[in-house]
Amino acid sequence: MATLTPDRSEMLRQLGLDRQNVGMLGRLLATGNIGQAQEGPDGRMTAEIHIVPDQLIWDPSVLVLPHGGDLDIEFVNDDQNTHCALVPSNGDSQWMWLPNYSRGTMHVTLDGPGQYWFSSNIGNDEGRGLIGAIVVMGDVPASARLDRPPQPRP
Amino acid sequence: MTTIEYRQAPPPVDFGSLTTATGTAPPVVQGVTYERILDARSEPQNWLTYYGAYDGQRYSPLDEIDTGNVTRLTPAWVFSFSPHGLHAGQSTYAFETCPIVVDGVMYVSGWDGWVWALDGKTGQLLWQYKHAIPFDVSLCCGNVNRGVAVANGKVFVCTLNAHVVALDATNGDRIWDVTNGDVRAGESLTIAPLVVKDRVVVGSSGGEFGVRGHLDAYDMETGERVWRCYTVPKPGEPGSETWPAEGEAWARGGANCWITGTFDPETNLLYWGTGNPAPDFDGEVRPGDNLFTDSVIAVDADTGEIRWHYQCTPHDLWDYDSNMECILFEQDGRKLLAHFDKNGYCFVLDRTNGERVRIFPFVDRITWGEISPDGQVTPRIYPDKEGEEVHFYPGPAGAKEWTHAAYSPRTGLFYVPVQDTGARVARRRREFKESIPYWGAAVIVDAEDMAGSVSAFNASGEEVWRWRNDLPMCASVLATAGDLVFAGTPSGTFVALDARSGEFLWQFNCGSGHHSSPITYSVEGKQYVAVPVGWGAWVEGFLPGMMGGPHGQAMFVFSLPEDIDSAGGR
Repeated sequence: MATLTPDRSEMLRQLGLDRQNVGMLGRLLATGNIGQAQEGPDGRMTAEIHIVPDQLIWDPSVLVLPHGGDLDIEFVNDDQNTHCALVPSNGDSQWMWLPNYSRGTMHVTLDGPGQYWFSSNIGNDEGRGLIGAIVVMGDVPASARLDRPPQPRP
Repeated sequence: MTTIEYRQAPPPVDFGSLTTATGTAPPVVQGVTYERILDARSEPQNWLTYYGAYDGQRYSPLDEIDTGNVTRLTPAWVFSFSPHGLHAGQSTYAFETCPIVVDGVMYVSGWDGWVWALDGKTGQLLWQYKHAIPFDVSLCCGNVNRGVAVANGKVFVCTLNAHVVALDATNGDRIWDVTNGDVRAGESLTIAPLVVKDRVVVGSSGGEFGVRGHLDAYDMETGERVWRCYTVPKPGEPGSETWPAEGEAWARGGANCWITGTFDPETNLLYWGTGNPAPDFDGEVRPGDNLFTDSVIAVDADTGEIRWHYQCTPHDLWDYDSNMECILFEQDGRKLLAHFDKNGYCFVLDRTNGERVRIFPFVDRITWGEISPDGQVTPRIYPDKEGEEVHFYPGPAGAKEWTHAAYSPRTGLFYVPVQDTGARVARRRREFKESIPYWGAAVIVDAEDMAGSVSAFNASGEEVWRWRNDLPMCASVLATAGDLVFAGTPSGTFVALDARSGEFLWQFNCGSGHHSSPITYSVEGKQYVAVPVGWGAWVEGFLPGMMGGPHGQAMFVFSLPEDIDSAGGR
């Protein structure tokens, strides 16, 4: 039984797990593309995320931020169905409609480091694949770190 | 080929705007000062601070609901909430909070960064705040938060990613936000803050990940940190002689302060419990008493210095945190505190100097060891040899978990939620790595042969009555001047007992287990009893026999019946 493969992408393709309604009903979570936010001179970050036609997948489905802070995301729905975007943000999660062939920008604020989710929270968009991750890199401020020698990490 | 014309999507909105929230609350917190909190019991219509008052008694002078009419108690309103999308601890979230009430407005924290302001009379949602929490934070014991604090127009709340946040009490807008701890080190915050003078005091979580515990005070207006008190000393500091001289065991020593302390303005001391040493069960890597783990510490409220300490379980090998409350009371003219510890013993101390006054057991089965009345600790059963399993009582959740006892000055009795459950533990050494659980053992808590009770003790340590429950009691209790004791069970039943006899008087099935702190308050002269309901958290540790219990997530509020108000709403 093959449990490991050197080419994960190829295995996903062979098994039909990276497309809708081939190997399984939906698309395996977190099998989409990885993208990085752009950082402006003031530290404010921007990103563009699309919904791929008939694939119920965000592109990128994993968005990486260099640090916590303010992020402007332009969502683009290239699909022929209506979806939406629910994204965590300090204060309150942000939510917007994404009708077929529409685009709109959302501003969110996130602490770092850590991993956050975002999704289209209608129907079972989430179960089919429209759930993604926003990954915030970096460290907490020096003032918040423990007064102790550096410790080993996994 | 046709070019597709894209349209502008409707603008994004706050998700909370798509609820019935009105968006604003009356400015009732503007007038909440330190002086009012000092004298909190003189305004029994309110529940101004975590324990109701600085003394930690969880006692209310309200007496409209009493032993004669409690059987007529009925739900007044329910506030229910549910998660959206993913969140940390998807299977372990719980509603552990203790509500705060000011002049008819209830302030409530939920799991995963939620704060709500509710109308205390109707349950109407006034505003909500949501802090975005990463779902990969290190949590030993579930996605929980134990409550907010209020003062000077602000609501203070801690977050699981170790931030302390001040909100505008009228609309939930963020005023300041500071990072308290290092999530990469496994730190988090679950505590309800305590406002003392012009400061907000919070203690850190993360003892199961080998952090170094600390207590911090922040300026209420600016969020600037005023002092930090580490609860494990560095080499050379007082108490460091109780840690190995070589190595860095102290740097991973635990002693986190994750439950709110009490405060005596006359001694100017905060009385705070500290948590287990790390690793929890492998003592061989940290020989010594390991101060200030498993201790009651008295901390100068102005400077953060530890004035005295009393260690309840020296060199802990059983995960016997001492975080639970220190109830302040007077007896024979002495200023005392009572602390019901995980290890099965109650410690009565002179709160002016930490002198031991009395020690007595409050649970039937104690096999880990023995503490004599003069304070001598004799360990008997503990994980020692690698891989060799031992069984002891109480298990790691303790004879009483963090959930709180109450004290009624009318009856002179302490009311204690008791868990009588054992566990099997085998030492399993592991290397320390930041953010990875650092227990040093394999642990299986009993799911059979367990019991629980609300037990009433007088200050001399004599058990006066006991109300027995088949399952351990895992929620805080509440005492009132109506001579009632309220307590929630793991099965979901909320009960009222006669405070003098323990007689069972009333119950209501809330549909999910209780692991929170009920309160009482009044609006326009009418008394209400509120209990957050929502099973979850570290269930595998305190009651694995109920791992499959429904989470639930609702604030139940009860009152005596009156004519039904048929007014509409949104």
